[in-house]
Amino acid sequence: MTPKIRLLVFLIGAVGLGAVYCAGARNMPPWAEYRGPYGDVIASLAVFERHATDTVNAITYDYRGFDTLGEEFILFSAVTGVMLLLRPEKAEQKNRNEESNENPQPFQDAAALSETVQVFTTALFGFSVLFGVYIAAHGQLTPGGGFQGGVIIAAAPMLLYIAENTDAFRRIVSHPIVEFFEGFGASLYALIGFLALLAGAPFLTNVLPLGQTGDVFSSGTIGLISTCVGVEVAAAFILVTYEYLREILSRERDQER
Amino acid sequence: MLSPALFVAVPLTVAAMVAAVRDLLPRWITDLVAILTAAFNFVIAGLWTLHAIHQTQVYWFGNWFPRGHMAVGIGFVMDGLGCGLASLASLLTLLALIFSWKYVESGQRHYHPLMLVFMAAMCGFSVTGDIFNLFVFFELMSTAGFALCGMKTREPAPLAGAFNFAVTNTIAAFMVLTGIALLYSATGALNLAQMGLLLAGRHDRLVLAALVFITTGFLVKAATVPFHFWLPDAHAVSPTPVCVLFSGLMVELGLFGAMRVYATVFQGCVATTHLHWIFVAFGGFSALWGAMMCFAEHHLKRLLAFSTVSHTGLMTLAFGLWSKDALTGLFIYLTAHALVKSGLFFTSGVVLHRFRTISEPALFGRGKGLKWTGLVWFLGGLGLTAAPGFSLEMGETMVTSHAHWAEAIFILAGALTGAAVLRVGLRVFVGMGDRGPSDRSAEVDEMPETSEAEKRINWSLFTPGLLCIGGSIALTFWDRFMDAAWSSSMRFMDFRSYALAVYGHAVPLAMLAAPHEDEKLAMALACLRVVLAVSIALWAVLHLKLPRTLRWPSFLEGSMRPVRQLQSGHPGDYVAWLTLGVAVFGAAAFWLGL
Amino acid sequence: MLDHYPYYVAAWIFLCGLYGIVRSRHLVHTVISLAILQTSTYVLLLAIGFRKGGYAPIFADISPGVVTVDPVVQALMLTDVVVEVTVIALLLAMVVKAYEQGGTTSPDDLRYMRG
Repeated sequence: MTPKIRLLVFLIGAVGLGAVYCAGARNMPPWAEYRGPYGDVIASLAVFERHATDTVNAITYDYRGFDTLGEEFILFSAVTGVMLLLRPEKAEQKNRNEESNENPQPFQDAAALSETVQVFTTALFGFSVLFGVYIAAHGQLTPGGGFQGGVIIAAAPMLLYIAENTDAFRRIVSHPIVEFFEGFGASLYALIGFLALLAGAPFLTNVLPLGQTGDVFSSGTIGLISTCVGVEVAAAFILVTYEYLREILSRERDQER
Repeated sequence: MLSPALFVAVPLTVAAMVAAVRDLLPRWITDLVAILTAAFNFVIAGLWTLHAIHQTQVYWFGNWFPRGHMAVGIGFVMDGLGCGLASLASLLTLLALIFSWKYVESGQRHYHPLMLVFMAAMCGFSVTGDIFNLFVFFELMSTAGFALCGMKTREPAPLAGAFNFAVTNTIAAFMVLTGIALLYSATGALNLAQMGLLLAGRHDRLVLAALVFITTGFLVKAATVPFHFWLPDAHAVSPTPVCVLFSGLMVELGLFGAMRVYATVFQGCVATTHLHWIFVAFGGFSALWGAMMCFAEHHLKRLLAFSTVSHTGLMTLAFGLWSKDALTGLFIYLTAHALVKSGLFFTSGVVLHRFRTISEPALFGRGKGLKWTGLVWFLGGLGLTAAPGFSLEMGETMVTSHAHWAEAIFILAGALTGAAVLRVGLRVFVGMGDRGPSDRSAEVDEMPETSEAEKRINWSLFTPGLLCIGGSIALTFWDRFMDAAWSSSMRFMDFRSYALAVYGHAVPLAMLAAPHEDEKLAMALACLRVVLAVSIALWAVLHLKLPRTLRWPSFLEGSMRPVRQLQSGHPGDYVAWLTLGVAVFGAAAFWLGL
Repeated sequence: MLDHYPYYVAAWIFLCGLYGIVRSRHLVHTVISLAILQTSTYVLLLAIGFRKGGYAPIFADISPGVVTVDPVVQALMLTDVVVEVTVIALLLAMVVKAYEQGGTTSPDDLRYMRG
């Protein structure tokens, strides 16, 4: 189809689709007047039933924990897919030894990085990791949780890249333990679910002691699952960074030849 | 009874652990672990099916039972159809993994985890009773599918096919999510039974808009025309075992998603309207369009992909008829089609492995030595026509028992798709007639998926196809299967018993014997289909040897060209057609529904 | 009209995303348009859950029983956002590999699939 016909077909369709969407939107309850029972029922129960002050994470890791298991595995399969798609071909396998000692080159024509930026960004690395761990481990208490904390931890090595400390960046990002934790973190979530089966309750029931509301070690499995998810998400995003990095490096090497 | 969480959680856990330690494991251990997990899944899901056809049972995750009418947790509703689909998913994955043992070589470290995740997602999708959980498993199935589809990265074509697949199906998933959000605003709940109870009797614009979004989202996955464009692209480039899972079950699960939501949430709202005729229209059109495109193809896998479009269209039509006979026929047809289609794909994989090409003209006559493979292929072709002796015939008879006008569509679609497969069989395995027209589709050169051909075809490559075709024939003689399908369809249509089960008052179901329709008429129609398919196939193969007046009309090839060019490979085209399709569906829904 | 304006905004963003995919001339642009389409569902979900005068459903510093906004849609959304980022990463990996194999990033050149 020529671009013009394609656009015409799309515009006719878009008018219809938009009309359906807006017709549905007009008949929805007015905005800012949430009525539905689900949210209110859980908001009133979560603190008492699970000793969790963060209702959103209580829903994510407990009431609807099975959904989150599925979502975590979507993340896992997407990252496995990235690894599958960007895998080196057999011809490139023998170059892997060269690769492991190669660093990404900073841009040749960039202005020299100021020392302030280098020092400050490198110092932020440790703080970022700590902050990420804090967010992931306090999922049941304050906004945050495993997914958010994991992303923060995964972003920390990028700070090293920005600070042009490429050696440390490469060593962190290409370490084989990252790949191990990605799979292991995902399986840990399911294994915590199996714990409940062993205790005779349905899958993913919160069978650990609930502790005192407001404590770090409270809410049973919620905090534990949150931490495991944090590990998995951090490993997954670092792995994605590594795969793309390796792709760029191999492209640069091919261009040099 | 063992927890149903097992057939979702165990494959997920095994997949993650295999991925974690894959560098340490030799290939044969990964294969063995994957095959054992699939077998375990099949056993658990099978046991649950035998249990569920007598009584629908509900399993609440996290021990969150409903509070009054409010379902606070996620529940699995184990009914006959859902568990049956889960068993079928596990069986097909098991056969695909056995096939992959000698077939998949590169990228092996990531292949098995993705296949196990795909199987877990299909099983979870079939039995869940929560609409957002349905969306999550839909996304999981899709993501694993995208990765598996684009696996062969040494050529550019797989990436194009996987990209088109990914873009269209992600749009579909987000349309489903939009529909879910609209329903959530109206009901404040995410459980299918609860939503059905809350929306009963209400058919205003909001419900219709949600129905349009959710149904079209699922119909994209079900490759209904005009949402089908991604399917031939994805099938042409995926490795064979992955194609088996796509065509055998993933596409049908898209239809099942639409069916499940319609039967639970929307049944109370739209029961007084004639909305189900939209499914008949879209399904019938897909069946005929798919059959036509199937016959015009010369690339084996794309041919089979279009036949999936056609047969899923027939199933959508059957769903649109919305009667006990039609739904029973649909369940039988779905199972039988899954087995026959998988058998055909396994056979095409053997051909690709042995001859390094999948194009009909290039394969002309080369298959003469492969007698058993050829036999399986021919049986598969007969199966697609719903010949007597294949359970597709049983299914089809039931569907059209009270809607004889639909028989015409079944005959046309079955005959054309069967004729296409038979034509390929005659050219490749018998060497009859001529090479056939060589057009652009036949020139698509697919790189073989294995590193070198072997003279002797390993048993692990041959057996899955044989088992599938054999299974579809054996199913005809298993009366209990038909009775189970009849009971399950009664249950499926009965929202009241579904809601009672969800809220803790499950009613056991006595297994009734399925009614047997007019056997003579059914046999006559089946023979008609076979004769029609065989004659079309012979005519296509031998037409150059016939006198000029009897030849294949030349204007047909010419007029097919612009139609075939619609399948352009450009994602923008596909999305434009998708949008138009949603608009047409929406217009029809609002016209019929209000 | 004003009663439902966030929902109309969500509809508009959805259509913008679709328009971007249809009119795209670069595969990365297609993927980003898909991401825009995804954000329309986030807007829709969060708007549905909002309640005027409602607090955040975090009872660390407020007592249970105070009127809050809906926590369920927030839970649905927050996992979705992270997950969809990885799906985008998968799509971009396809684009990168397609560029490496075929030398082009234009959708017009994805003609391998032409029927």
